[in-house]
Amino acid sequence: MAENTGTADTDNADGAIEILFFKSDSCPFCPRAEEVIREVIGEFDPGVFRLVVINVSEKPEVAEEYGVFALPTVVVGGMSVTGVPEPEMLVKIILGSRLSRKRRTTR
Amino acid sequence: MSKFTIERVRTGIPGLDELIEGGFPRGDTILVAGKAGTGKSILAVQFLYKGATEYNEPGVLVTLEEPPHLIKRNMMRFGMDLERLEREGLLAIVDLSPSKERTPVMVGEYPSFDLSGLEAIILSHIRRIKAKRVVIDTLSIMAYKFRSRDILREEFFKLCASITGEGCTLLLTSEIPAQDTGLGVFDIETFLASGVIVLYNEKISETSRSRSIEILKLRGSKHSSRIHSMRITDEGIRVWPGEIPGH
Ligand SMILES: Nc1ncnc2c1ncn2[C@@H]1O[C@H](COP(=O)(O)OP(=O)(O)OP(=O)(O)O)[C@@H](O)[C@H]1O
Ligand SMILES: [Mg+2]
Repeated sequence: MAENTGTADTDNADGAIEILFFKSDSCPFCPRAEEVIREVIGEFDPGVFRLVVINVSEKPEVAEEYGVFALPTVVVGGMSVTGVPEPEMLVKIILGSRLSRKRRTTR
Repeated sequence: MSKFTIERVRTGIPGLDELIEGGFPRGDTILVAGKAGTGKSILAVQFLYKGATEYNEPGVLVTLEEPPHLIKRNMMRFGMDLERLEREGLLAIVDLSPSKERTPVMVGEYPSFDLSGLEAIILSHIRRIKAKRVVIDTLSIMAYKFRSRDILREEFFKLCASITGEGCTLLLTSEIPAQDTGLGVFDIETFLASGVIVLYNEKISETSRSRSIEILKLRGSKHSSRIHSMRITDEGIRVWPGEIPGH
């Protein structure tokens, strides 16, 4: 999994946008946040996103690398949201990351 | 040692231990507060350096503000080679400074989070190098990073308890805003810690300033209640226990 976590800002071979979800074993808000993320992803075509779940209890070194220590946190394209996100907010940063990708490739 | 005597953790900072009955009570949380540039970071890192080199106590430095390469460069000026300690497994530097390349920009915060990630990161290093000392520099930056103060307060208590629960002595730094009279940005810093040390760098004339240090409180200790002279020398921080500034 670690090798999948380093490409949040770039295209992957399959063209999917990577969504990183940081959680822990003890975090009470994490299960609800994960539900929201999965619901939002479910509204898009399959294959548009790839969800990478990072359990910080098991992989603290990945959280350290990203400087993510408040949980739950979701990271898309260099932007993050901490706490249980509202679906609209998630959609906003997802679309933001797609737009910035477009801008970069058409330049 | 009887269970009624408090075991002391020597800071190794010249002049400081004799003001506090030999050192910090083992396993306590100590707050080092002061305005910008008063020497909080130097004192905190020196505590880890001395622990590693003189008392066989490995340490974890969690830096939330200054990037590690700057800390190393600054400490090298005092002859303290942090990289060597890292190589020898006597020091772990946890880089959570905002300048890191991978660190995402936080665009949203909901008041439903905890700091269990920070806890997991710190505990993994404590266990890896069998650390006895931990520094978090600086608590204050959290106030700028997160809006949810109530969560932070509660989470700090949990975090401190779980670090000291590993048998570590914990030193936190907190920055006192320039015009402020309190001890930090959260108003809870004093309650978090069983010991509080305040650093000053006061203007004593139009052309000079004078550094000093005060032990505001220390659990179970008959500490000095005066303000003592302190200087930043070529060997780092030094305290003059007999010297009272302005006298
Ligand atoms: N080699 C040196 N010799 C003498 N004094 C020094 C030396 N290096 C730094 N200083 C002094 O130490 C101060 C910085 O100390 P330090 O970084 O520990 O402060 P701080 O309280 O952590 O500040 P901040 O709140 O900005 O983090 C400098 O402002 C400078 O006055
Ligand atoms: Mg500092």
